[in-house]
Amino acid sequence: MSAVALSANSPKNAGRVQPMAIALLLPITIVSLVGFVAPVANLLVLSFQKAEGTGALLGGFTTETWTTVLQDMFYLHLILNSIATSLVITVLTLVTSYPIALYLHRSRGSWRNVLLVLVISPLLLSAVVRTYGWIAILSDQGVVNRTLMFFGMTSPIRLVFNMTGVVIGLTEILMPYMILALLAGFGHLDRQAEEAALTLGATPFTVFRRIILPLSLPGIALGSLLCFVLAVSSFITPKLLGGGRVFLLATEIYDQAIVSLNWPVAATLSGVILIIFGTALLFYTRLLKSVM
Amino acid sequence: MARAGTAPSQDKAFLVLHRLRKAYDDTLAVDDLTLEIAKGELVAFLGPSGCGKTTSLRMLAGLTPASAGRIVVEGRDLTHVPPYQRDMGMVFQSYALFPHMNVARNVAFGLEMRKVPRGEIAQRVVEAIALVRLTGREQRRPSELSGGQQQRVALARALVIRPSILLFDEPLSNLDAKLRDEMRTEIREIQQRLGITSIFVTHDQVEALTMCDRIAVMHQGRLEQLGTPEDLYERPATAFVASFVGRTNRLKGIARGDTVETGGLSLRTCGTHQGDVVVMMRPHRIVLGEAGCVSADGRAVNRMTGCVIRTVYAGDVVQSDVRVADSIIAVEQSNRGSGELPAVGATVTLSFLARDTLVYPAAP
Repeated sequence: MSAVALSANSPKNAGRVQPMAIALLLPITIVSLVGFVAPVANLLVLSFQKAEGTGALLGGFTTETWTTVLQDMFYLHLILNSIATSLVITVLTLVTSYPIALYLHRSRGSWRNVLLVLVISPLLLSAVVRTYGWIAILSDQGVVNRTLMFFGMTSPIRLVFNMTGVVIGLTEILMPYMILALLAGFGHLDRQAEEAALTLGATPFTVFRRIILPLSLPGIALGSLLCFVLAVSSFITPKLLGGGRVFLLATEIYDQAIVSLNWPVAATLSGVILIIFGTALLFYTRLLKSVM
Repeated sequence: MARAGTAPSQDKAFLVLHRLRKAYDDTLAVDDLTLEIAKGELVAFLGPSGCGKTTSLRMLAGLTPASAGRIVVEGRDLTHVPPYQRDMGMVFQSYALFPHMNVARNVAFGLEMRKVPRGEIAQRVVEAIALVRLTGREQRRPSELSGGQQQRVALARALVIRPSILLFDEPLSNLDAKLRDEMRTEIREIQQRLGITSIFVTHDQVEALTMCDRIAVMHQGRLEQLGTPEDLYERPATAFVASFVGRTNRLKGIARGDTVETGGLSLRTCGTHQGDVVVMMRPHRIVLGEAGCVSADGRAVNRMTGCVIRTVYAGDVVQSDVRVADSIIAVEQSNRGSGELPAVGATVTLSFLARDTLVYPAAP
């Protein structure tokens, strides 16, 4: 809009502004085309190609891989399981991160900086290292089970190399992203509006439900979108904490591409992930529109 | 009192603050505030920023816990009652409207909290919105309204719950001058019509003087004086009140009986004093010109000559600074359009009545 206003008001400048804008946008456009659009296009082309059992691509065009994948109960179950698991992880991440983010949003001064560093510091560590950390904590001989056994439990609970481990690990790994996204979306929160609600007779819980929660919806939407996308596409953590027993889209794509050398199936499943992301993005924009 | 509307009842015990105190780490924000307010009264808390007026209001609302003291409304001790059970309406400086709700929902909020039946809510919301003259804008979001309209919504939202006490926290300071005048009249009119006991925090003396039944002047956490606007202006209890309410000339001197020696001048003053004092007089009570002021009842008149060093033409009034002996005295004359602006450098005669001086012991 400002560009329109600018060119309308000063036709002399219009000729100068646009080449400048194009020049500034060019690098990112090229990187994006080469690094993102082309590979994704290539992937989609791959999903419509035939392949031999040995993995050699035969070229040509076939929708066979797509129809097999979308009719196979194993893959359908895999897709639904991935979406459900990621949704559970997203909700858990939201519930655990929200109080921390709200507290951070309200703290001031150097204390706030200390807390922020604490929140961000896990990101400085590779997810692989943190995942191994979780294995150490959650395994049968780990801190949690040892403590429980000390207090009289007879046999350890299986907390790792199953779905429970994947959910716990991913929730913790995604928390910093959620907290930062929530903080970014908390701009509409207004302490005085909360106080006004209190004087109007709202209990603290009602203030949370009727004022704080609706005003922080943009942050909740942003954080949930981000964490859902990261959870669906995460690969290392489910691979390690799942112990080969948890089947999710990202790990299956890896197996198909590297172990089975079935590139068309891997490409098709990647296409499915893209469709899931697109749908999530659609939900996100819908939600934002209804809030604002 | 010449003020219009329902006269506040003589029973001063509707709202009682008793030795209310707020201490932060090492400072006292509010120090032993004690006062009584009658039902239907509009009382201003007036003072410079940091004087504790807003803290006092927030303690009244229950938003800031009191460190000591008691808040009693109609005999009920509210000191430790949470804000949502105090039944007080509050209007904030920043409006504090709920941005995700339209005007009608904002106004209805307090009634919903009180579990008022839906039919009655709808009716009372319509009435409250009409009261603040916003009929037709019920469906607007706060962001679609001007500052003045937003503050009217905030007023309607606080009024609709029929609170026992209405609290205003500098509600007009974000509005421009013309709108402020308008809202001042409007708030006072509504307050008197509904007879709601109200407290109005402001740093603007004009607001306090023109709107309120009584004014509590606060300074450094303490109550300096509580009185009618006339009391405050004509009979300020302390030097701080005298200089904060209205403009004053302030001269240091030594008093002996009814005269004060100050900067080479000898002034006749009101009453008798001894020792180091501060003498104050209002610039507009000083008369400029040969004729001087008339003292028909034979009271003492101070008369002196000086040199005009500065003149400011301010429309309604003309302000001049006059050097008299070692002091500079500000004089204010109303502009009658006769064009006699005192010229800079001219020698002029000043005169003022001894009874128009205010004398206070000098601060140690």
